[in-house]
Amino acid sequence: MKMKVKKVISLTLAAGLAVGLIAGCSTGKESGSANEKKNVTLTFGSHQSGLPTSGIVQELAKDFETESGIKIDFQISPDAQWRDLIKVKIDSGEAPDIICVDTPISLASSLHMDQYSVELTDQPWVSRIEKTTLAAVSVKDKVYGITFPGAKMYFYLYNKDIFKTLGLSVPTTYKEFFNVCQTLKNAGYTPIYEATTNGWHQVLPLFETGGLWLNQDPDMYEKLNENKIDLDGIPSLLTIIKQLDECAKAGYFGEDYLSNAWENAKEAMATERCVMTVAELGFRGQIEKEYPDFKATEKLGAFVMPWGDNQEIGVNPASNAYFINKDSKYKEEAKQFFDFLARPENLQKRLNGQPELSALCWPEITSKYTKEDQAFLDSLTKANVVQTSVNYIDSQWMDVGKDLEGMYTGALTPEEVLKTIMERRTEQAKLQKDPGWVRK
Amino acid sequence: MMNQNKLYPWYFAGGAALLFFLLCFVPGMLGIAFSFTDWNNFSSEIHFVGLSNYKAVFLENSEYLKYISNTLIFTVVTTIMKTVVGMALALLLTQNFIRFKNFHRMVIFSPQVMSYLVAGLVFRSMLHPTTGFLNNFLRSLSLDWLAKNWLTDLHMVFPTVMAVDTWRGMGYIMVVVIAGLLSVSPEYYEAASIDGASFFQKFKSITLPLLKPVLINVTVLNVTYGLRVFDMIYSLTNGGPGNATGVINTAVYKEFSKGNLAMGTTLSSILFLVVLSLLYFIIKSMEHKEVEG
Repeated sequence: MKMKVKKVISLTLAAGLAVGLIAGCSTGKESGSANEKKNVTLTFGSHQSGLPTSGIVQELAKDFETESGIKIDFQISPDAQWRDLIKVKIDSGEAPDIICVDTPISLASSLHMDQYSVELTDQPWVSRIEKTTLAAVSVKDKVYGITFPGAKMYFYLYNKDIFKTLGLSVPTTYKEFFNVCQTLKNAGYTPIYEATTNGWHQVLPLFETGGLWLNQDPDMYEKLNENKIDLDGIPSLLTIIKQLDECAKAGYFGEDYLSNAWENAKEAMATERCVMTVAELGFRGQIEKEYPDFKATEKLGAFVMPWGDNQEIGVNPASNAYFINKDSKYKEEAKQFFDFLARPENLQKRLNGQPELSALCWPEITSKYTKEDQAFLDSLTKANVVQTSVNYIDSQWMDVGKDLEGMYTGALTPEEVLKTIMERRTEQAKLQKDPGWVRK
Repeated sequence: MMNQNKLYPWYFAGGAALLFFLLCFVPGMLGIAFSFTDWNNFSSEIHFVGLSNYKAVFLENSEYLKYISNTLIFTVVTTIMKTVVGMALALLLTQNFIRFKNFHRMVIFSPQVMSYLVAGLVFRSMLHPTTGFLNNFLRSLSLDWLAKNWLTDLHMVFPTVMAVDTWRGMGYIMVVVIAGLLSVSPEYYEAASIDGASFFQKFKSITLPLLKPVLINVTVLNVTYGLRVFDMIYSLTNGGPGNATGVINTAVYKEFSKGNLAMGTTLSSILFLVVLSLLYFIIKSMEHKEVEG
């Protein structure tokens, strides 16, 4: 008897569960088709750094909801896990409707969003995004995502007052730069603030000077990616590595650059202990915030890194972008959300609501740069940086930092540094079975 | 006795053995098996590649050999230093003329409770060439010529790392040796003193032989730690400057983060074999001597 009762109970429960499941499915479908505008919730998956900490995107989503009735449900994951997590989610068909990932998406080492997301090339806002940035969300001229943050550009910031007192002018060639450093050193200053312990800062001169590579051959980046040429075919790269070594040996980075951390750069510049450092223009605002007595925005000027006689500013359009999941039920609603975000007033709201951002990659929106800065930026020739265009550079960025450290201590020669970078590229390419390296 | 042995049938240990087999043995063996493949982050296929990963370590890339030799040097030097310093401190802190012995012992032992990462970061700031405590201290004593670039000078960095590691590890060895010393019965020393033995004679003929089991344990601990060292080096220098202080485990970490999982397992397998064989010989040789003595 007891057994029978148990069986009946379990069967009823199981049946109930099944009915519940089916019912759940059917209501879901109904809400999708019948109540078009209402009750739609778009899921928005992102990593932490994909959404500004000020919460401005969530605010914009609230505005969108009041206007259209479409809710946005944000699902935020830790940065370190996002790449793997989103891959698993996409493969298992559980990915959110809108996916936020880091760009560029066209490199072999990136997440291949072109396979997973809706093509957006025909959307009205596409033409309004800056071209260089648009490339970061495109694969083979097809646009897949929408992106907002402006490009990153690294300059040499320099102390105008000290330059003036010593009668120095902004250097445009390496030789001039070298002489400026010597004069500064003779005057008792540390010419350049360099910090190698963070691992990334010392690498900037190598790959932010892509203009030199493109001057040598406009198709250089493609040729590198197809393995038709290797890095030793670019003389300017080795030249720059040698010049860095020369400046380090000459003492232009000071005594302690191998023990310095980038976090102390603000202090070094604000106390006028050091005269120049590689940073973004927005760095001046950060200095001024921490050291209000030192009017960094007025006192610090900027010039293009003259390593290897480079005169083109490296533009890094990579940031993060939003994509629409190809398997989403609400593709149209998601496009509607993108349209909403692309409205000028909402772009402006986004820029205003994000203190650390100086500009958007939408030229119609005036940046937070001063007139002087803007004129300076407009006057420059621009070139995309290497790491967003050439495969297997960004992935070894920190390793290159250590190679340079090794060179500064005398463990490696500049030639060996270059060789190690090339070997790592080959190793990575072979691991990924890159067709340029591995013949099938 | 026979009956007592049979009191518990073999399958009583079965559960534990099964757990050990599933959770320790199988993954370990799988790890070694993966070192014969081209397993990596970028492709879901795994191919058998024979010994080519091992060839890459021993024949093609001198970098790996450097990591292996660094690991061995680190192990040998820190084991000797920790044992010698730890034993000297233990002898000192068991003498009767020292006051507040327990306080001293506690102070010397205290680095042991500090995390490696914290110790590493603290030392990194203390060893900064201009703002660090050590160099400022030396300069204030007018010993400027002794103020070095401790962590960035190619010739100084490895000794510095080993010294910091010794500082952190010696307290533990000291405590273990003190326990050993206290278990030596005082009658031996009394008898030796009556015979007119000096301190060093007593040390050589009484203390050392009776401490041998303790020293074996200490050496085993030090060697296994030294070969597997990671945190201390990672937090102090991250293997730098360049790759000057890289050891096997920092290389394993680097390979895994590059996505070259097979190479990571290859290096760990080599480490496993080295640890296993070294320990076997250490224990064998010490046992042998003990029998002779």
